[in-house]
Amino acid sequence: MRRILDTLYKLAGAIAALSILGICLVVSTQVMLNIVARIGGPGWSYTLPSYADFSGFFLATATFMALAYTLRAGGHIRVNLLVGALPKRPRWLLELLTLAIGAMMAGYATYYAALLLDESYRYGDMSTGIIAIPLWIPQISMVAGLGLLTVAFVDTLVEALIARAPVLVDEGAE
Amino acid sequence: MSDPMVFSILLGILLLLLAAGVWVAVALIIMAFVAIAAFSNAPEGLVLATTLWGHSYSWQLAALPLFIFMGEILLRSRLSEDMFSGLAPWLGRLPGRLLHVNILGCAIFAAVSGSSAATAATIGRMSVPELKRRGYPEKLILGTLAGSATLGLLIPPSIILIVYGVATEQSIARLFVAGILPGIMLVLLFAGYVAFVAWRNPADIPDDGMRYTFMEKLRASRRLIPVLLLIGGVIGSIYTGVASPTDAAALGVLLATVLAALSGNFGTKAFMEALMSATKTSAMIAFILLGAAFLSISMGFTGIPRNLAAWIATFELSPYALLAVLTVFFVILGCFLDGISVVVLTTSIILPMVEAAGIDPLWFGIYLVLVVEMSQITPPVGFNLFVIQGLTGVNILRVAMAALPFFFLLLFGALIITVFPEIVTYLPNAMGN
Repeated sequence: MRRILDTLYKLAGAIAALSILGICLVVSTQVMLNIVARIGGPGWSYTLPSYADFSGFFLATATFMALAYTLRAGGHIRVNLLVGALPKRPRWLLELLTLAIGAMMAGYATYYAALLLDESYRYGDMSTGIIAIPLWIPQISMVAGLGLLTVAFVDTLVEALIARAPVLVDEGAE
Repeated sequence: MSDPMVFSILLGILLLLLAAGVWVAVALIIMAFVAIAAFSNAPEGLVLATTLWGHSYSWQLAALPLFIFMGEILLRSRLSEDMFSGLAPWLGRLPGRLLHVNILGCAIFAAVSGSSAATAATIGRMSVPELKRRGYPEKLILGTLAGSATLGLLIPPSIILIVYGVATEQSIARLFVAGILPGIMLVLLFAGYVAFVAWRNPADIPDDGMRYTFMEKLRASRRLIPVLLLIGGVIGSIYTGVASPTDAAALGVLLATVLAALSGNFGTKAFMEALMSATKTSAMIAFILLGAAFLSISMGFTGIPRNLAAWIATFELSPYALLAVLTVFFVILGCFLDGISVVVLTTSIILPMVEAAGIDPLWFGIYLVLVVEMSQITPPVGFNLFVIQGLTGVNILRVAMAALPFFFLLLFGALIITVFPEIVTYLPNAMGN
């Protein structure tokens, strides 16, 4: 179980990382095409259809898919000034409480994100660019990412319960 | 219930959640949720879902992961090692000598990384041991490092300005350009202060007697030149309007990868580390931005910012008085919260008040970043202080004392741009549309 979950977080993190490379690829290709157009004149002008939309959807995927991975790596920031000064037991209890709050928030968001996806699917909502994409397709990343974040919160909560101590180590991230 | 009452309750909830160690993004979402559920008739779940989706795929925001990625790549290249040897020969004759390496090194690195903690860590790792070995006073070494590293927030491409631009729907290109002159002004202020201290106490500043010819200087900094060209290219293409910030960022990532690979020591492993680190940082910031977007919308439903603005207007404060009050407020807030959180809270609650007072939101963005910079070097939660404590083992309060003059220099800088707002607005106005 531990191995499966950790693989899942890593896999989602890898998808997020690939999406960032995807943004790089799409945008820099378009920039190259712009340079070609500038040198060659109007006859050489090419545009990747809907490239701004595609970069945006890659961005959404990168953000949502990395949420759980970042949580487990201690990358989401929080104020641990006061918590850090507490004795061990209250600190543990507070950690359990914050994890439970996080799980509830993420679960709630997942539920309504799924409703939104369902609505986009049923009404056939499309993106507005030259290439119109059914919106439910990129929205899958939102539902999957928030769902996995919920799993990660619950997972960490269970771990902390068993360990009888906080298990997350926060990065010194800014 | 009256508005100030409702607002106090909501703010109380937020502070309680934050103090308990709830993640900033989660705390923002919960505060917004309570605001909608308890004080308006909007369907909170649906609003949450549409906001999370609607704010997750903007073209402007796509610059965020790319600039972070570019910084992470250059962080892992030989750049930081070359910074000291490349800058030192040029600065040895100035009053204050090699202390200026800290200032200029931070300013250059700030331009590639956009994060002040990363700037402090990277520059400090190589400059602090070198300067200590040469016998420079510890107080000035730590002070210049802590102070100058805050430039990471202001000098473009700046992550926090992207956050402000996305949250307030300002042009990120104009914000970046607006940050250039104030950034240079701060570098001059810092350098001037160091020169002044050195002139007052010449005995404190060791002289290694090294003199270089122009060609020797050029040779020593030959590896810095490509990086300077990269920075110049990124900022220049944004300024001239050839490229949007997102375009420039994508190209910056490509060029940074090529530069790092050519300089050696940068293989697939370092590239993957940079990518995963950028993935995490960008997810963290984007999550906070999503939470802040939900908070902004919920605040709109409750009408609190509008009423708060009307309430403040009844005091008939001049813009200067309002700014003075806000500065004190931000410095206190910044003692406990990180910069990005301060910015998103400001944009969702205080901005209507600021605009109502007739303050230009573009100018206010730069001013806000300056004030947030101060909060990076105030205890107890000043990220630069933590980084430098971790780096040198010097107690955080002593680092804070060393950084205190730079806190006042930043405050002075904020005063200057208030009296002469053209320092901020001249370049963006000159760039047209």
